[in-house]
Amino acid sequence: VGGLALAALFRRDAKKTRECGKSIEEDSKAYGKRIIYLFQSGGPSHIDLFDPKPALQRLAGTNIPSSILGNARIPNQSRDKSGLPIVPSAYSFEPAGECGMELSSLIPATASIADRITLLRAVHTDHSEHMPAATLYFTGSERAGRPSIGSWLAYGLGSANKNLPEFVVLLSGSGGQPLHSNFWGSGFIPTRYAGVEFRSVGDPVLYVRNPPGIDPRTRRSLIDCTGQLNELHYERFGDPEIQTRIHAYEQAFLMQTSVPELVDLSKEPASILKEYGAEPGKPSFANNCLLARRLIQRGVRFVQLCHRDWDHHDSLDKGIKVTCQQTDQASAALVADLQRLGLLEDTLVVWGGEFGRSPYSQGPSDPKTFGRDHHPKCFSMWMAGCGMKEGYVYGKSDDFGFNIVEGGVHINDLHATILHLMGIDHTQLTFRSQGRDFRLTDVAGNVIKDVLA
Amino acid sequence: LEAGDGEKQVKRTLHTWSARLLPLAWIPLIVLLGRYAIPPRKTPHFVKEEVARPSPESTKKSEPEAPAVKKPAAVVKHLDFGRDIRPILSDYCYPCHGPSKAGRKADLRLDRREDVLGDASSGKPIVKPGHPSDSELIDRIFSSASNRMPPARFPKKLTDDKRELLKQWIAEGAEYRLHWAYTGITRPKLPDSTRSNQARNPIDRFILARLDREKLGPAPEADRRTLIRRVTLDLLGLPPTVEEVEAFVGDSSGDAYEKVVDRLLASPRYGERQALAWLDLARYGDTNGEHIDDAREMWPWRDWVIQAFNSNKSFADFTIEQLAGDLLPDATDQTQIATGFHRNPIVQREPTDAEVANFTMVDRVNTSGTVWLGSSLACAQCHDHKYDPITLEDYYRVYAVFNNISPVRRAKSDGRGNQYPVLQLPTPAQKVKVDALHERKKHLKELLARKLKEAAASRADRAPICAGLRVLLVILSLQDKIVHFHESQQALGKEVVSTMIMKESAWPIATHVLHRGSLTQKGKQVTPGTPAFLPAIPDGARVDRLSFARWLFGRDNPLTARVTVNRLWQEHFGRGIVKTSEEFGSRGELPTHPELLDWLATELRDSGWDLKAIHRLIVTSKTYRQSSRATPEQHAADPENQWYARGPRCRLPAEIIRDNALAISGLLDQRIGGPSVTPYQPPGLWEAIRHPSAATAMEYVQSHGQDLYRRGMYTFWKRALPHPSLTAFDAPSREVCLDRRPRTNTALQALVLLNDPIYVECARRLAQRIMREGGANFEQRLSYAMALCVCRPPSLAELRTLYSTFEQEMNRFQKDPAAVSQILAVGESPVEPQFDRAELAAWSALANALLNLDETITLE
Repeated sequence: VGGLALAALFRRDAKKTRECGKSIEEDSKAYGKRIIYLFQSGGPSHIDLFDPKPALQRLAGTNIPSSILGNARIPNQSRDKSGLPIVPSAYSFEPAGECGMELSSLIPATASIADRITLLRAVHTDHSEHMPAATLYFTGSERAGRPSIGSWLAYGLGSANKNLPEFVVLLSGSGGQPLHSNFWGSGFIPTRYAGVEFRSVGDPVLYVRNPPGIDPRTRRSLIDCTGQLNELHYERFGDPEIQTRIHAYEQAFLMQTSVPELVDLSKEPASILKEYGAEPGKPSFANNCLLARRLIQRGVRFVQLCHRDWDHHDSLDKGIKVTCQQTDQASAALVADLQRLGLLEDTLVVWGGEFGRSPYSQGPSDPKTFGRDHHPKCFSMWMAGCGMKEGYVYGKSDDFGFNIVEGGVHINDLHATILHLMGIDHTQLTFRSQGRDFRLTDVAGNVIKDVLA
Repeated sequence: LEAGDGEKQVKRTLHTWSARLLPLAWIPLIVLLGRYAIPPRKTPHFVKEEVARPSPESTKKSEPEAPAVKKPAAVVKHLDFGRDIRPILSDYCYPCHGPSKAGRKADLRLDRREDVLGDASSGKPIVKPGHPSDSELIDRIFSSASNRMPPARFPKKLTDDKRELLKQWIAEGAEYRLHWAYTGITRPKLPDSTRSNQARNPIDRFILARLDREKLGPAPEADRRTLIRRVTLDLLGLPPTVEEVEAFVGDSSGDAYEKVVDRLLASPRYGERQALAWLDLARYGDTNGEHIDDAREMWPWRDWVIQAFNSNKSFADFTIEQLAGDLLPDATDQTQIATGFHRNPIVQREPTDAEVANFTMVDRVNTSGTVWLGSSLACAQCHDHKYDPITLEDYYRVYAVFNNISPVRRAKSDGRGNQYPVLQLPTPAQKVKVDALHERKKHLKELLARKLKEAAASRADRAPICAGLRVLLVILSLQDKIVHFHESQQALGKEVVSTMIMKESAWPIATHVLHRGSLTQKGKQVTPGTPAFLPAIPDGARVDRLSFARWLFGRDNPLTARVTVNRLWQEHFGRGIVKTSEEFGSRGELPTHPELLDWLATELRDSGWDLKAIHRLIVTSKTYRQSSRATPEQHAADPENQWYARGPRCRLPAEIIRDNALAISGLLDQRIGGPSVTPYQPPGLWEAIRHPSAATAMEYVQSHGQDLYRRGMYTFWKRALPHPSLTAFDAPSREVCLDRRPRTNTALQALVLLNDPIYVECARRLAQRIMREGGANFEQRLSYAMALCVCRPPSLAELRTLYSTFEQEMNRFQKDPAAVSQILAVGESPVEPQFDRAELAAWSALANALLNLDETITLE
C-alpha cells in the first residue's frame, strides 16, 4: 500500500480522490508527488543574477532616491550608514533559451534551462534579517516553533517508501549564515515528520552504522532477539505500541542496509557526475543535488538542500562568483536530469533564498570590496517542473529592483502555490495546536494561478 | 491545470468534504502499514484526534464527550451548552460573529445571549428561545438560498446533525453558559459507585463512578515489581535498585507501598525529575538561540528549580519567585536567580532593540498564558481572540505587566554570554577576589580624590589653569592603576558564574496596543492589568509582576489550580484530564473527569499548593496502582486509556531513557546541578550549521570522564541543534514554551538505541556488571540482567531466546578477536581486565538487545 496516508484528505479535486487502497503513485499524474527545495541561504542577489536593471548604470554612486526607499525598513548593517549609494550589477545579462528570459552571465547553466523554468521576479517577505526571514521561508511564520514546509508535506502526502524518511535534508557550504534545525523541524506536529539529515561526512544518517565489532549478521540476530522478546511482551500487555516498535526495528534494519548504497555516488556514470560537477566523497552542493535525485527516485517526498554562503555583505564580486560556481551547474543539471528521466512532470524544483539583496551598497561603493545588504521587499526565485509554466517570467520590479511593480508573490503565496501543485488546498491542510488550526500559510496565501501551465 | 481552475476546485472540495471523510476508517490501517516512520502510540486514535482536518465532524466522532454526532439528535434530551453547542458556534459562527471585533460581519455577535435575542434585519429575532421556527438563525442555517449560513465560501460545512442540535438548543431555551474553565472552582462531593469500597482514596471514587458509566472494570493492582519500577521511574526518572525491589517485594506491612512513595518523594532525584517538564515550559536552553546561537549561562536558574522542587516549595511561592522574586520585600540572591524564568527566551541578534524587546515581551506573555492560565493569550497579540473572550487590550495589559524590566540590549552581554541585567555568583574564593576588587575601587577613588585636592591646593598660588586639564593630569598619573583595575574587573567577570535576572526598570516604560501585533501600528496606551474575563486584581493594588503573580493564586482564579493539577496528572498518566493541557479555553478539549479535576484543584489550593502532597495522592491511588496489562480489544476500546480501566503505560521521555540506561549499567554520575555537559555526539553537527564568527558554542567540544555520564537533563541544550539522541525521542528545541511532548515511535529511535556510543558503552558496562555481580552461570547472570533492566526475572521462553542468541554471539566473538577488541573499545570508561574478553563481548551484545527492549524504555 505504498504511502497513501492522509493525502486524500487534503487533495484539492474531489474527482481525483483516490479510492481506498490506491497509492499516490497510482493516482492521477495531474499532481506533483515530490519536491526538491534548493534553499540558497543568506539571500542571493537578484540584482546580479536574475533581474537586469540597466537604469542603475547611470545612477551609480548616487544615493537611492527617497521616493524609492519609501518607509522600507533598512536592515541592521546599513542602518547607521550615512548614505545608500547605488551599485549597478557588474555582470552582463543576455536573453536565454527560446523564451529569451534575461539572465546573468554568472549563471550560464541556469540560462541553459531557461526554457524549463518559471522565474519569479517579484517575491517578497516580511523581515529583513536572516533568522526571521528564513523561518518565514520555511514555516510560513517568522516566530520559531511552527512546522517546516517539508514536514507539512511529509504529513500531508505520506510515505512512498518502506525504508526511508519522507523528508530528507542535505546541507552544504560553510561560512556565511548559520542554519537552524527549525528549517527542517516539525514544530507542533509529531516529530516523525521532521526532516532527517543525510550527511556528507560521518554516518550518512546519524547512528545508521553499527558500532565497530557488530557486523550485519550480529545486528540482525540482536534485532531478532529484541523482537522476539517484544512479541512475548506484547502477548502479556496487548499494547499496539509494542507492535509498532517491533516494526520500527525492522525499518531501522532496512535503513541500515539501504542507506549506504543510496548515498554511494561512485556508481553513477561518469557523464552524470560530470554534468552535476559531483565528486564522490567530496561534500558539495553538487553531490547533494545528485543525491536528491537518488532520494526522490526511491520515494522520498521532500528533499531540502540548504546551501550557505550567499550573504554577500562585502566583496560581493569575489563571493558571488564562488557561490555561483558551487551551485549553478548542479542546479541546472538536476532539472535537466529530472526531465530526461521523465520525473520533472511530477517533481517540483524550487530555487531561492530567504530574501534578495539591495541595489545599494552597504558601505563605500568600491567595485572590488562593495557588498549588498539584505532586501526583503522584492527579489527573485525560480521553480521548475510539476505543471509550472516553462520559460516564463512572472512579476516585475521597479527600475531599482527595490519595489514590486506587478506580480508580487509573498512567501505565503509561494507556499500556497507549492501545496496547490501537490494537489493540496493550503487552507485545508491544518493541524490543531493550542486550540488553533494552524496552516503552513498562516492566515494568508493565494495560489498564483498565472504560473501554472 | 487551467489557470482559473483553482477556485472552482476549491469550491468543489468544500462541497465534497463530508463524502470524503466517510472512508476515514481505513486511514489508521494505511498509516500503520505504509509508513517509514512509525505511527505513535495508539495510532488509530492519533489519526482520528490529532490530525486536524478541514472538517471537524470527523474529529468529533472520536470524542466521547460529543454525543452530538454519535447519536441522532432526537436521542439527546438535555443539551449541555459547553459540550454540545459552543463547539458548533465556535467552529462555524465565531470566526465572523464571535468575540473578535476584527472581521466581524453584519455587526452580529453570537457568543453572548443578550446579542442573539435582538432582531435581525428581517424583523425576526435572531434567536427566540423556545421557538426555533421563529428564529432567524434557524432560517439561515437551513436556507437553500444564497443567504445560507455559513456561506458557501466558508471552509467548513455545517452538517445536518449540527443544524438539528442548534434547533433543539433553541427549543430548549437557548441557554448560554460560561465556558467551564472560566467558572469558579467549587469542591465537588465524592460520587458513589457500586465499587466505592474498592477506592483507596478520593481519586478512585471519581474514576470508579465513571468506569461504572462506561461499563468498564478497573484492572487488578500491578504486581510489586512492576509497581515499584513504575513509581520509581515516574517520581525519580531512575529505576529502582535490585535491593529496593527485593525489599519492597518482601515487605509484608500494610503500608509497604506508601513507605516506598515517601522515600522517593524525599529523594533529591525527585527534584531533577520534576524539573524536566518545567524546563520545557520555561524554554530553558544553554544558548541564546536564533542567529548566532552562542552559549549563555542559565544553569543556576535550572539548579534553583531542582532545589525548589526538592524542598517542596509551595507552587505559589515557586511561581511568585520566578515571576517577581526581585520585587519581594525580602528578596535574596536566590529569589533573584528564580526570576531567570522569564530571561530564558531566545535573544535575537539582528533586529532593532525595540523589535527585540517586543519579541521577548510577546514570548513572556504567551508563555505566562500557557503555563499558569492554560490559555492561548497568544491569539490576542494581533486581534481579539476569535473564540475566547480575550481582547487585544487584555493582551497588552498583561504585556504591560512585564514591560517594566530593564530592556535587554541585543548582543550586549557580560563575559559569560548573558545579557544584562545579570547576577554574579562568585564562589567563596572568588568572593575574596571580588571583595578585594571592591576595596581597590574604593582605594582608587580615595586616592583620586586626595590627589585632586592636593593638585588644587598646590596650584592655588599659581596662575590659574584650566580645571579640566588639572583633573586630566591627575588621572594620567593614575592611568596604570585604573587600567589595571579595569582589566582585573573584566578578568574576574569572565571567571565568575553569572545568571540572567529580571530587574525593574528605573524609569517607566509605556505600553501601547499594537494592532496586528506590529510595532508600526501603535494603538492606545494601556496600563498593566489582568484579562477582563477573569477576576480582577483588587482595586487600588499596584499592578506589577508581583501582584500579577499573587493574583494567579487568588482563591477566585479559576484557572491556575486546574491547569497545574492537570499537568501533574498528565505527568503520571501520560495524558491530562484535559488532554489539551496547554489549552483550557473553548477550543481545548473538555475534561474527561471534570469533577475529579475540580476536586484535585481544590485539594492543591487548600493544601497550600503542596506539590508533593498531590503527587503522593495520585501515585497512592488505586487508579495509579492498576496493572497496565490489557487485551488488544481493551486497547482498541480505549486506546488512550482515558477512562483509566488500566494503569499507565508510556514510553519514557528522552532524557529518562538515557538516565535509565546509565543507571542500569552503573555508569550514572550522581552529581546534581552545575554547568551543562557535552556527552558523545557525532562530529561535525554543530560545525555544519554554525555561524562563522568566533562566538562560543560553535564547535562541539566533548566532555570527558564523569561528565560523559550525567543525566540527560544536564546535556548542553543548543537551541539551533539540540543533541540528536534526545530530539529523536521528541525532546524539543526549547525555543518556545511546550506543555506536552509528543510520544513518537520511529526507526530513528531504534538506530539511536542500537548504535549511539553511549548506549553501546552502557551495554558493555552492563555486561561487566552482570559478569561481576550476577553469579556463576548463564541463568543467574541473565536473571540479574533482567532484574536490572526490567525489575523482574525472565520467563522460560525469554531465557531460551536469550540463551540461543548468547551462544551464537559467543561463538562468533571467540572466532573473531578483532571484533571483540572493537566492540569493547567503544566508550571512554575502562574495560575491566579480569573477564574473558570474548564472553564480555557476547554479554555486551546481549545487553545491547536488553537495553533496546520496549519494556526497558517504557514505564509500565
